[in-house]
Amino acid sequence: MYEEDHIEPDFAKRPQNPFRTPDNYFESLEDRIMGNIKVPKTKKSSSTKIIRFLKPVLGIAASFTLIFMLGYYSINTFMLEDTATTELTNPDSTDLLNDYSINLSSIDENSLIDAIFTDETNIFAETNPDEFLAYLSTGLNDVEIYSEIQN
Amino acid sequence: MTDDLQILESLKDASTKELAFRHLISKYKERLYWHIRKIVLNHDDTDDVLQNTFIKIWNGIDAFRAESSLFTWLYRIATNESITFLNQRKRKSMTSLNDENQYLIDNLEGDSYFDGDSWQMLLQKAVATLPEKQRLVFNMKYFDEIKYEEMSLILATSVGALKASYHHAVKKVEEYVKSHETRIEP
Repeated sequence: MYEEDHIEPDFAKRPQNPFRTPDNYFESLEDRIMGNIKVPKTKKSSSTKIIRFLKPVLGIAASFTLIFMLGYYSINTFMLEDTATTELTNPDSTDLLNDYSINLSSIDENSLIDAIFTDETNIFAETNPDEFLAYLSTGLNDVEIYSEIQN
Repeated sequence: MTDDLQILESLKDASTKELAFRHLISKYKERLYWHIRKIVLNHDDTDDVLQNTFIKIWNGIDAFRAESSLFTWLYRIATNESITFLNQRKRKSMTSLNDENQYLIDNLEGDSYFDGDSWQMLLQKAVATLPEKQRLVFNMKYFDEIKYEEMSLILATSVGALKASYHHAVKKVEEYVKSHETRIEP
């Protein structure tokens, strides 16, 4: 039934090719195709997939860390400034600080040593011998004091 | 170097593979282009399919065992790529089964690289209404004048079945043209 190889439609004519291409389309085709072929279509490795999956999570974690650090830094800074201001505005602490700074600035090492030993010397120098004996003998009677002196 | 055997030999050697593939493209680009164009009708779509076809050929050339001719193998890949492309487009455009060939007609009417007159447009529309297999057979036989034996290898269908398909396709196209011809303005 279909053995005839040349079944022709009952048309008046065989039409010419009605299609066309853009100008010079075929001239650049090899370069474009080879350009596409040379681009390596690498299959993404599992590690790349994991990184891609973890990216948003890491981004959120980094954001939280940044916010925490900013908050911590801000709180720390303001709290220290507040404490310092409180201490500086306290009159007692200011006087103490002033005294301390004055004393420290006026005393060097040698003068400090001198002052210590001078003070000790003065203590003994200014003490009257009778008063000294009286002090020592506060717990003794006269006989005992006499015997002590004689010995 | 235009002989298929020479091209295939050069494709096996890594140092000459790229140059040989360029020769293969040069030799078959126009024939494959027009084969694809008659299936998908639109130039831009044809360009996409043609590039995909050559990429498939590049990737599969090492597995080509020369059991069929190179020309047959290339045509088979181009045909499969074209059908796959059309099926993907039809799915994306949510076209119903009854109107699936309307996609092709819209594609044809929207193509700025169609220079045919109203009768040629009518003929292309008639072909677009055919079922997929009949459309392929009609295009390959009527426009490209490919022999049934070669077509049998490309479409993996018996010669008898191809003749039957072509016979039915011709009858349908004739009926479509006759029923619409009177509406064409002179």
